Amino acid sequence: MSSPGKNKSRGGVSRRGMLRRITAGGLSALIPLPALEAFEARPASRGAEKASRGAEKASRGAEKAPVRLAYVYFPNGIATGSWHPKKVGEKGELLELNPWMSPLEPFRDDLIIPKNVWTPRGNGHAAGTATWLTGGGYDRKRIDAGGLSADQIAAREVGESTLLPSLQLSLVGQGHFSKDLTRNTLSWVGPRRPASREVEPRAVFDRMFRGGRSGKGTGAVERSVLDLVRDQSKRVAREVSESDKRKIDEYLDAIRSIEKRVAFAETKSRSVAAGGGLTDTLARPKPGIPSDHKAYVRLMLDLVALAFWSDATRVATFMLDHGQSNRYFNFIPDVQGTWHALSHYRDFSGNTEDDDGVTSWKSMEEKRGMFNEVTRWHHEQVAYFIDRLRSIPDANGGSLLDQSMVVYGSSLSDGHEHSARDLPLIVAGRGGKTIRTGRQLAFRKPESMSNLHLALLRRVGAKVREFGGSDTPMEELAG
Amino acid sequence: MSVILEVFRRSAFVLVSFGAMTPLFAEPQVATPDRQRAAANALRASCTGCHGEKRQRAELNIERALTERPLVRNLEVWENVYERVRSRQMPPEDEDPLEADERAAILRFIEEDMRKFDYSGIRDPGYENARRLTHHEYESSIRDLFGVDVDVIALLPSELKVTSGFDNSANSLFLHSTLVEKYLGVAERVVDLVFREGAGEAERRAIESVFGEAWDRIPEGGEAAERAFREILARVVPRAFRRPMRETEDDELVRVFRVATAAGLDFRSATKKGLEALLVSPYFLFRLEAAGKVGEDQPVEGFDLASRLSYFVWASMPDRELFESARRGDLREGESLDHEIERLLRDSRSRSLGDLFAAQWLGFEHVGSRVRPDPIDNPFMTDSLMLSMQAESARFFAHLVRENRPIEELVNARYTFLNEELAKHYRIDGVEGEELRRVDLETEQRGGIFGQASLLMVTSHPGRTSPVLRGTWILSEVLGTPSPPPPPNVSEFSREVERRDPLSEREKLELHRQKPACSGCHSRIDPLGFSLSNYDRFGRWRDRRGRAQVDARGRLPNWTEFHGPSGLKRVVVEQRLDDLTRQLARKMLAYALGRQLEYYDEPAVRKIVREVAKDGYRFHALVRGVANSYPFRYKRLRAEPDSESPSTSQENRG
Repeated sequence: MSSPGKNKSRGGVSRRGMLRRITAGGLSALIPLPALEAFEARPASRGAEKASRGAEKASRGAEKAPVRLAYVYFPNGIATGSWHPKKVGEKGELLELNPWMSPLEPFRDDLIIPKNVWTPRGNGHAAGTATWLTGGGYDRKRIDAGGLSADQIAAREVGESTLLPSLQLSLVGQGHFSKDLTRNTLSWVGPRRPASREVEPRAVFDRMFRGGRSGKGTGAVERSVLDLVRDQSKRVAREVSESDKRKIDEYLDAIRSIEKRVAFAETKSRSVAAGGGLTDTLARPKPGIPSDHKAYVRLMLDLVALAFWSDATRVATFMLDHGQSNRYFNFIPDVQGTWHALSHYRDFSGNTEDDDGVTSWKSMEEKRGMFNEVTRWHHEQVAYFIDRLRSIPDANGGSLLDQSMVVYGSSLSDGHEHSARDLPLIVAGRGGKTIRTGRQLAFRKPESMSNLHLALLRRVGAKVREFGGSDTPMEELAG
Repeated sequence: MSVILEVFRRSAFVLVSFGAMTPLFAEPQVATPDRQRAAANALRASCTGCHGEKRQRAELNIERALTERPLVRNLEVWENVYERVRSRQMPPEDEDPLEADERAAILRFIEEDMRKFDYSGIRDPGYENARRLTHHEYESSIRDLFGVDVDVIALLPSELKVTSGFDNSANSLFLHSTLVEKYLGVAERVVDLVFREGAGEAERRAIESVFGEAWDRIPEGGEAAERAFREILARVVPRAFRRPMRETEDDELVRVFRVATAAGLDFRSATKKGLEALLVSPYFLFRLEAAGKVGEDQPVEGFDLASRLSYFVWASMPDRELFESARRGDLREGESLDHEIERLLRDSRSRSLGDLFAAQWLGFEHVGSRVRPDPIDNPFMTDSLMLSMQAESARFFAHLVRENRPIEELVNARYTFLNEELAKHYRIDGVEGEELRRVDLETEQRGGIFGQASLLMVTSHPGRTSPVLRGTWILSEVLGTPSPPPPPNVSEFSREVERRDPLSEREKLELHRQKPACSGCHSRIDPLGFSLSNYDRFGRWRDRRGRAQVDARGRLPNWTEFHGPSGLKRVVVEQRLDDLTRQLARKMLAYALGRQLEYYDEPAVRKIVREVAKDGYRFHALVRGVANSYPFRYKRLRAEPDSESPSTSQENRG
């Protein structure tokens, strides 16, 4: 931060300063980051500094500036009423949110709050989580989510041009179902194939900014190992049955993505060598899981912001916990009991099956109040993320938030009733000037969330005709 | 209407094929198609609106279950439907009720056609896809391959579980790039550890026994080095791949060796690189079996069967002896196979059946992780105590299996395995030191799974004991006779009841059971759980709860009354030993196959139970029965009916 003035590169903010801001908080050693030169050198990326903005726009013609898509999921739903804005104008303008949504108040103009959206085919803690992004029904026996998740379709369609097709982030879960696949999986590479997920901040960072796995050994040897594994896998794929081949294909896919990263790391170091000397620095997170929950959540959100800004990927999902989290939020003043217990706020006996047997409440109002506090705490973290995106200028004018679409919500509406009608959802960002924000979008009839996914997928540039049983995108987003 | 006809047509087809295959059981249930049609009509009229393809409330899709043949495929759906319809919870109050004859049709259909389904015509060994090693299998395979203990599980991302309840279930063992990257890192660490600097004489000998003399000679010149490397491969590759090395297979690994040499690495470092490659080879990481014709039953033989056996009993790769038996073609049904099974069971590696199988089946794997009392409020719950609890349960189960004990001892053994800390927890004197050892018991307070602290803990809530949890665990997990899940909005009722404060827990639950929606299941569940009331949530014995004497009266679902854990042990052995045996057979078969069981496995389960009963209900017969079962020794490749194929995803694209 010594001399931000000297390094000005775009929009009046130095990249170095910006990176520092993005990754501020609870971090240790600064390591050299050669990556960004390479990001910008890639043909498919926006090539920000190559030409003046106007000329560039003209030369690209039809090619649109890339749009980013993020899904931020929270479990256990909300208390009825806590998601409805207090004042809405005649044309749906958001005039005032409500006390429980106060952290999002400053971003009102960047939000769409849909009303009466639901997932008809799968809902609840388990199926609802697994199908939140697929729009399908869930077949527990076959582990089948009914289709690819929206983020993975986006990753397929537009992920080729970025280092990572997509990022799937999650927190280390708490409670009974922490190891349950269904409740831990939002993203599906295939209907029966969950995408990988990362829970450790450093691992996320390293995937983006460190090519090799350990920095040891020579590139040639590593490549020869990967070559061997790839050749063998191909041979295995020919030897085994058709159904086994599927598993081997998983392995081949994995190898390919590693090769891609290794190759990327090499171009990166070449471009660094050509550029001579590094100036950019970036904090690499400490290993392990931060013990402070807020720091943990924010660090993960920072990493998504960083990924979007550096164009390491354009698609991300983030689970604020598994679908039936029993996390304690006792660090919030006056809140006690686990998240899932609180979500059954109408029962304050303290003796239901989801209670811990220790915590008790005086009244339904008290328990609901605590539940709402937990929801608000999450709003605060998401507000932090939205603020990050809004404070980063985009090469195409406006902010990174203007180029993004962040869907924030849950697979349950009322946590106690386990209802799936009128899901709590927020869409933040303007998707490259294709979404008119600052509005409540109230649907008369229950509107399938698949329509929302479809609308967002088209904005990302995915050529998708239908999704999750829907062929009518939610074009009301455009206003 | 046409859909119903289709159901009818298909069910008729199923019946015909049964008749053709099993002349002895050729007596078809004549009324079946009518009953099915009546039931299907009623279900479609009243249920599929909420539980169909368009909407799946409570994750229930009756419409699909009606089209999947044979209908017993979805037995748990039908049992659920049965309980809801029987207790009149469904259809819900705000929907049109079922007509009396519709209701009767549904119930009869499930009673007659589902519960009494004739499995004798079913013969299908099933198949799950090739799967990667679990983290446990990976760790023990490396241990047995290189003779080093590396805690690789800590280095790998935690595994997520699905319905079979075992982490070796093929359909949950996915392989992502993140995991592959971890494998690459772990391989490097393992190889570094095997050949660490400054190894002592014993370690050098161990290395030599694995890699041969080639390792110790430092060859001169490129060709000699390559020859030495090939010598090492000839010894290691067959072990790592669990099958003989194929011709020219070592050339691939030699290529890595050459690149490493060309990059300036010396012989040993280049060899290490080659071995690293070996550890990330798909032939090492995957359990691959010979392919064959799709749709035909084919035997699993030789090296494939050897691996099935060793990963079942040891959770690890075959040893040299098993490998040689496979090479000689000795692994055939009957005596020679049984001989190998006995040998594997006697080996100390069979403890994996306690550490992994029993831990996951009964649930004591969660002690210390998911079940972890607050250390500040409960300072006596130390990590070492919780580890001892797990060890007691694991060691006990492994002992039963290895020593071929009667299955009833799982419940009523008069001995257990304790160290000093755990003995103190149980208030048993005379056990000193950290080592677990067998202790003969003077009372019936301990001994058997119902008296083990690990299991009493995992069947409690974090802050209190729960007769409901314990009863459910006994019925579902131990005896394999579960009740359907509770209906929605149960807690509404608990609240009413909870307000009536002077009532005891038993009285509250009795009130709860008066409600028809609850009584069906809870009159089965609660009285079983109450019989364990003498154990607190840490598994300690108590005679009083607060000021009141503990009331440990219990009752089986058939109304047999008994008292306390000793009574529970007695009635389970006297009346439910067959259920326990069947559940053991089911669980062990699912674990051995690495998949969840399907309806077509039912004949195999029944055969195992018969054989175990014939042998006087002992553990070796159980393991032999599983290993000799049709699904374990055969497979039928599927014609890939899965929706996973890329074509499905293409449909989503424009």
